[in-house]
Amino acid sequence: MTAVSIRNVSKVFNQGKPNQVDALSNVALEVKQGEFVSLIGPSGCGKSTLLRLVANLLEPTSGEVVVNGKSAAQARLDQDYGMAFQQAGLFDWRTVRKNIELPLELKGWDKSKRSARADEMLQLVQLPEFGDHYPWQLSGGMQQRIAIARALAAHPPLLLMDEPFGALDEMTREYMQGELLRICAATGTTVVFVTHSIPEAVYLSNRVVVMSPRPGRITKVVDVSLGGERSEDTRNRTAFFEAITAVREGLRGMHAAHVGLGNDDR
Amino acid sequence: MNRITTNVGKVLPALVFGVAFLGFWEWAVKFFELKPYFLTAPSSIWEQFTGNFSLIRGAATVSGTNALVGLVAGTVLGVAMSFVLSRFGFLNQLITPLAIALNAIPIFVLVAVLNNMYSITSEIPRRIMVTLVVYFIVLVNVARGLTQVSPTHVELMRSYAASDVAILRKVRIPNAVPFLFTALKIAAPAAVITAFVSEYFGGSQNGLGSRISSNIANSKNAAAWAYVLAACLLGLLFYTVSVVMENLNRKGWVRQ
Repeated sequence: MTAVSIRNVSKVFNQGKPNQVDALSNVALEVKQGEFVSLIGPSGCGKSTLLRLVANLLEPTSGEVVVNGKSAAQARLDQDYGMAFQQAGLFDWRTVRKNIELPLELKGWDKSKRSARADEMLQLVQLPEFGDHYPWQLSGGMQQRIAIARALAAHPPLLLMDEPFGALDEMTREYMQGELLRICAATGTTVVFVTHSIPEAVYLSNRVVVMSPRPGRITKVVDVSLGGERSEDTRNRTAFFEAITAVREGLRGMHAAHVGLGNDDR
Repeated sequence: MNRITTNVGKVLPALVFGVAFLGFWEWAVKFFELKPYFLTAPSSIWEQFTGNFSLIRGAATVSGTNALVGLVAGTVLGVAMSFVLSRFGFLNQLITPLAIALNAIPIFVLVAVLNNMYSITSEIPRRIMVTLVVYFIVLVNVARGLTQVSPTHVELMRSYAASDVAILRKVRIPNAVPFLFTALKIAAPAAVITAFVSEYFGGSQNGLGSRISSNIANSKNAAAWAYVLAACLLGLLFYTVSVVMENLNRKGWVRQ
């Protein structure tokens, strides 16, 4: 079963104007249900644009995006995905619990059902005692966990994440990666994850999609064969380093080509 | 107990300074034998204030009512208009330069024009004047609060397929509430000042502003100062109420 199907999608901003940008050119990608796929590449490679096309926050110029077997627009209307951003984006004036309940309020759930789900989500992200706190009372990592709880509150089958750990320090970041994998394993959620970090992409993903800029396109897809269970030991395994090298070569090959060094033995 | 001690510690320097200042003032008037028409001693101002208290209270009620009516009307109109402006961007570009232009000129002078439109004993021109001043302060701030929302919040709401009305209710309005209280903190003292100054342009001689000018005209300086004192207290009262309201709103969700 396919969770996300991106079919020959192109995206052009300001088409026909002097400041025209070819953000994505002929991108095709299939994400299977339960899969964790990372998009990696330098700034301007269109990875965030691609994520927003899946989320239907942007419309493709050509091509088609299918989410959960329906059009991306319908999937958005049905709240088939949850989304998390680099900023946790919690609402300062709402308690943690009320933040988690927001997508459920918009779905028209009644109060007791919302409250029960908020409790469940707080348990899931292991912050059950923080429900009545306000966002400013939480650390950056805790805020991001609440943002994930909010994204998953309606139990969507798909989670879209745009550099969610980009603003966290290295220690918190590695902890959050472990937490995310645990949460995804518990819920069976499919994830499309945008990142700048090679080790992060490799540690989290079943597949790492390497993208290149001008115009944005997919240059390489690295299969990560680290098995289902990942722990801190995973970061020391040979397969982990091999995958990192493969992704780095994908990024570097593109860089070499871009600066005109050529790379004939590729 | 500890909190009381800290609060006293915060207030004490200001209190000591105030008392010392009044003491110096009193001493300077006595020592240099300053004539009352030049500078009046605080003790004689206080005498006038307590002696004429019922008259002063009456005048303060007139000015205070004008300020309050104008503050409420200006706030209601300002909030209503800010919703219209945030909904229709092109209006924003029409109204904002006008608001800035009107704020740049001393719009108190409009009260002279308004006085011609109503009967000589009417309080309406003064109230309209206060309304206008408050209106622009509230309009500019609340419109900013409604439009300057975090892009992440808007994207998040769109990902939930939220309607424009839902975005308004759940994001824009809560975001604008602190802006409203900031506006009120500026507008409340401005309303009182406008109410006084409006009285200088004719109409009934019943408010604090007109009492100050008539007492000065009659060389009753100590009495004039007593009305100035009342004006200060009225302004402080308005400001304090606005600050208390803001603090009640911020309770909990803002880092103190």
